[in-house]
Amino acid sequence: MRFSLNKKAAFIAIVVTLVCVVISFYGSRKLQNFDPALIAYLFGTLFAVFGVIYRYCVWLQRPPTRMYFRRTWQLIFTGRFFVHVYTLLIDSIKNLLFQRFIYPRGKKRWLAHFMLAIGCLAAFAITIPLTLGWINFTLDPVTALDPGAIKLYNANFFGFKVMSFELGSVLAFLIFHALTWCSWLVIAGAVIFLVRRLTNAGLIASQTFEGDLLPLILLIFIAVTGLGLNFSYAFMKGIAYDFMSVTHAISVILFLVWIPFGKFFHIIQRPAQIGAHIYKQEGKKKGMAVCPHTGKEFTTQLHVDDLKIVTKQLGFDFTLEDGTSHLDYSPEGKRSLLAKAHLKARQEGGTFFG
Amino acid sequence: MEVTSYKTDMEFFVDMQRCIGCKACEMACAECETNGHESMIHVNYVERAVTIQTTVQVCMHCDDPVCAKVCPADAISKDDFGVVHTANTARCIGCSNCVMACPFGVPIKEEKYDMMMKCNMCYDRTSAGKKPMCATVCPSQALFYGTREEISRMRPNSTPVNTFIFGQQEVTTKVNIMMPKGSTHLKIH
Amino acid sequence: MAKLPVSPEKLITRFGPHLNFAPQEGYPGRDEPDATVKTHCCFCGMQCGIQLLVKNNKVVGFEPWMEFPFNQGRLCPKGVQRYLQDNHPDRLLHPIERVEGEGFKPVSWDHALGRTTTEIKRIQAAYGKNAFAVLSGVSLTNEKSYLMGKFARVAIKTANLDYNGRLCMVSAGAGNKKAFGMDRSSNNYADLEHAEVIIVTGANVSETFPTLTHWLWRARDNGAKLIVIDPRVIPLARTADLHLPVKPGTDSALYGAMLKYLADHDMLDHDFINNHTTGFEDTLAAVQDYTLEWAETVTGIEKEKIRQAAELWGRAKTSFLLHARGIEHHSKGVENVLGCINLVLATGRIGRPYCGYGTITGRGNGQGGREHGHKCDQLPGNRDISNPEHRKYIADVWGIPEPELPQKGLTAWELIEAIHRGEVKGLLSICFNPLVSLPNNNYVREALEKLEFYVCIDFFLSETARHADLVLAGSLHEEEDGTVTTAEGRVVRIRKAVSPPGNARTDTSIILDLAARLGEANKFSYENSEAIFNELRIASKGGSADYYGITYKKVEDNMGVFWPCPSEDHPGTPRLWEDKKFATPDGKAHFNPVKFREPSEVTDSEYPIVLTTGRVVSQYLSGTQTRRIGKLVGLMPEPLLEIHPELAQRYNIRQRETVRVSTRRGTGDFAANIVETIRKDTVFIPYHWPGRKSANQLTIGTLDPVSKIPEFKVCACRLEPLGVFTQPGETNAFDSI
Repeated sequence: MRFSLNKKAAFIAIVVTLVCVVISFYGSRKLQNFDPALIAYLFGTLFAVFGVIYRYCVWLQRPPTRMYFRRTWQLIFTGRFFVHVYTLLIDSIKNLLFQRFIYPRGKKRWLAHFMLAIGCLAAFAITIPLTLGWINFTLDPVTALDPGAIKLYNANFFGFKVMSFELGSVLAFLIFHALTWCSWLVIAGAVIFLVRRLTNAGLIASQTFEGDLLPLILLIFIAVTGLGLNFSYAFMKGIAYDFMSVTHAISVILFLVWIPFGKFFHIIQRPAQIGAHIYKQEGKKKGMAVCPHTGKEFTTQLHVDDLKIVTKQLGFDFTLEDGTSHLDYSPEGKRSLLAKAHLKARQEGGTFFG
Repeated sequence: MEVTSYKTDMEFFVDMQRCIGCKACEMACAECETNGHESMIHVNYVERAVTIQTTVQVCMHCDDPVCAKVCPADAISKDDFGVVHTANTARCIGCSNCVMACPFGVPIKEEKYDMMMKCNMCYDRTSAGKKPMCATVCPSQALFYGTREEISRMRPNSTPVNTFIFGQQEVTTKVNIMMPKGSTHLKIH
Repeated sequence: MAKLPVSPEKLITRFGPHLNFAPQEGYPGRDEPDATVKTHCCFCGMQCGIQLLVKNNKVVGFEPWMEFPFNQGRLCPKGVQRYLQDNHPDRLLHPIERVEGEGFKPVSWDHALGRTTTEIKRIQAAYGKNAFAVLSGVSLTNEKSYLMGKFARVAIKTANLDYNGRLCMVSAGAGNKKAFGMDRSSNNYADLEHAEVIIVTGANVSETFPTLTHWLWRARDNGAKLIVIDPRVIPLARTADLHLPVKPGTDSALYGAMLKYLADHDMLDHDFINNHTTGFEDTLAAVQDYTLEWAETVTGIEKEKIRQAAELWGRAKTSFLLHARGIEHHSKGVENVLGCINLVLATGRIGRPYCGYGTITGRGNGQGGREHGHKCDQLPGNRDISNPEHRKYIADVWGIPEPELPQKGLTAWELIEAIHRGEVKGLLSICFNPLVSLPNNNYVREALEKLEFYVCIDFFLSETARHADLVLAGSLHEEEDGTVTTAEGRVVRIRKAVSPPGNARTDTSIILDLAARLGEANKFSYENSEAIFNELRIASKGGSADYYGITYKKVEDNMGVFWPCPSEDHPGTPRLWEDKKFATPDGKAHFNPVKFREPSEVTDSEYPIVLTTGRVVSQYLSGTQTRRIGKLVGLMPEPLLEIHPELAQRYNIRQRETVRVSTRRGTGDFAANIVETIRKDTVFIPYHWPGRKSANQLTIGTLDPVSKIPEFKVCACRLEPLGVFTQPGETNAFDSI
């Protein structure tokens, strides 16, 4: 497929990236809080922002996605808004934070994914604001000058102090080593998945290296080099620190740049699941479609009606001679219709066999 | 998937009038390594109150798969062999667009997984040069997997058809349905 | 004391049936099995080839066996799921003994076998040799069948040995012996391929022998006309060229009328009749009054359809007639079979390519089992236990004086009656679940409760085994080497895939141990299954079922050998009677006159509706194995009462309403399935379920006078809608009590 630039998506992506730059500029107090060591990461992140937004916008322009996107917001803003927001929130916690939908597919699978996801999401939450200079840590100026006082550290968001904690405290240990915890979670999850992918015959048959194995390897690589940095600093007097930091930076930047194109884009896509839930719930209230063949309800009427529009937008027309549509039938109904048509053809042909 | 011995001269031929509704295919489908003991094939009574007729439906692997087109999450893909694969687990959001849009009623929404699953022509087997489970076990050979020469030798009075008419829409598929000799298409409506 | 030790609910909690499902991603090791074992399905008479995948002494899956000629990889749902009987949580892992008020407790093999021996001796000393009976089954291999026969007669020394084949194809066996002098399907199924006309009567092939469908469809691809005779539009009948919806119990009237039509329109093979048969005149005389009009009134089939069927059959150049339990499970089962054979003989289409006839044996080793083992009137090689020469030959093989060889004993149903009468006091059973499979099972339960001692060899605690004093943990099909003989007469090789788990033992070792304890060790010492088979070969030598020329190696090399095979250089006999030399004493095929008579119970004002029973595709026999496999149970969770909409309307029965079905023997409640695919005067219930969901609470124990098969297929019932509705799958029938 030849690449052609989607102008609308590119425009939005550029605007968002610029806004991001502006926010970062002012958020880091005109680069005062910006850590120059992170400059490579910054560009990687900005590229990822551009890429993700571009890809997201292209994605949203596809008829089915656009339909779901529009319907979701329409449905949220009709009726009892706050009730919707509440259910949205609960659903998001269940499915986005805890990925509960994976659990029935396998406990181990869920655990692995949960560790991987939490590790990644937490690492994002820490590193992206740090990279963009939105967050920084400073020694509390008051305690710093008082030799008798316990040293306090301030965490600043956009330059505003949001919390402070004691140096050497458990909290400080946890905060300063947050990325270490993330790394271990990522490694544990990714290794479980990798083993699965290398041993399960069904997965072996259907997976691809770049689509399924490489992302896991990359994540493990990032986590291990990240831990290596820490290890080198803490226990090896900085030996191989430079090497580690370069490899870590390269792998992270590769990861960032890859987000919009590869498997990691599913992280960005996943919230659409919540939209699909709302669509189904609200659609039910509007009424169910009944299959003319089976006489049973099978999906929401809204879904059937929207699919008629969407399929037409995609160049399909299942309209029948009497004005109804093949899409009015349930899956079972469609299968039965095909079988009946086939039976008729066979009967007219005079023989079932041969 | 890189190393594959998929046999491109082998095709799928279905004749639902041979189906006896025994569900051997359904049991065997679940044994396929790619779908975790879920069955992806459909066997159902057409209208049990008046007839014992059953129908069997595998994924037809459309040339231009509606399921993939209507997927809002780009979760369904068709490979170089023309096999339309089941939903990518990472992407599928369980919206059921494919389930309701498929003209053959094939994809299954697995509610417990909040995900769609469908027949991928036993990719673990076909990619290794074997026949799909369902067609291997089918005791009536309503499901047949083999070459065109084999089927035309065995059933000389039938013609494989892969064009289906649903009202205004014509759909062409990788999987064939056996029709009376000389047929060019099957008109459903 | 064969009453239940505790409530059935408690027994079920401990011993099942529980449903076994494969783990979500299959059993571990399926991808890299330790062994891929070529063997056969443990279920029906088709004995489809299958490969079992073995890992760490467990069967973890299967792979189709593409080379085996009969099924070429094809399987039915039972075959696909058969591997789940291994790894089953209900599996008995050690001998267990009944403890009143507690249930069953594990005991040592020494105790179990010791007590069994003591009880056998005690009962026989007190009441006579024949007071201890043996019931066996034909899911067992030829080796085990042979061994059971010898064990009962030589070690236990009882005449009372019979088997569950008595509920299977004994009518066909008796009919075949009368007509051909030999009890085997005359042809292998490859002969279906170019048959011009095929009659399938009383055989729901697509549900009970699904893999045979392929051969029928192949024939139809080649232009064959298919005639299906069945009270229901079975899946085979839907696309058949002719479907004759016969009223249950009137089959012989139909065949009689067809024979008369053939004769009236001179569609007979006079040369064949004159040169190779006897009895045609009498047979024709018997049906002289059977006009099409008469047949229509009796059978309920339009006369035009009967005429068409006779025309098709009469004018064909090649043909095949298949029948099964549908015509055999009658008090005139043998007559029905003879009626079919008369049609075959009249047209002379037998003993030639694509001209065939045969019963479709239902049980896994229904064919081989009945030839060599445990039939009360038969000795190995299909020999007659009342024939002095036959007795002498077998007595010599077994190393006993001929007078010590017991005479003919009671048949399965008669044994139940004898227990009721107090003549039989002790019972050893293997591979038989009469509480589900025999008719009138309330009567069977009462019989079991009267036994002084009942010992059962089984791998699961079946409904019947719950009544046992001792249950000896035996082996599954895949745990012993052996052979079985398929419905075609092909001897195939069962290969051991795994060893019995825990403390369970192979059936063979249990029997050999018991025989030794009964003082007959010297007559029961075999190194392995092959040694038993080699003795069987000698025992069958010269008999009508001659296996002498069949060796394990030959079976393995050729993927099966068809008996008769009298010498090692003999290739086996896929098609019988090619030389027109029949196995009867006069060498001719025998016509047998068949006069129509009514079934033993006809409808009346009190019981106005015909009840017929049968099977479903997802279950096998009494369900001891298949009611424990989750997905099979899921396919049909409960037996449904099939009823025509007009009949349903008459009783105001609605779809899925629970209907109480009553007969003179019992009552049962079943959800109604209102379908146009059944006769308007008949209802149908499948029989695989136990307890309150058992169709055999209702059926009648009237026997065929010759074959002693019970009349499962027809009795009179009445219907009463209960106004209760259940959802599909809401009521679980697999563990019903």
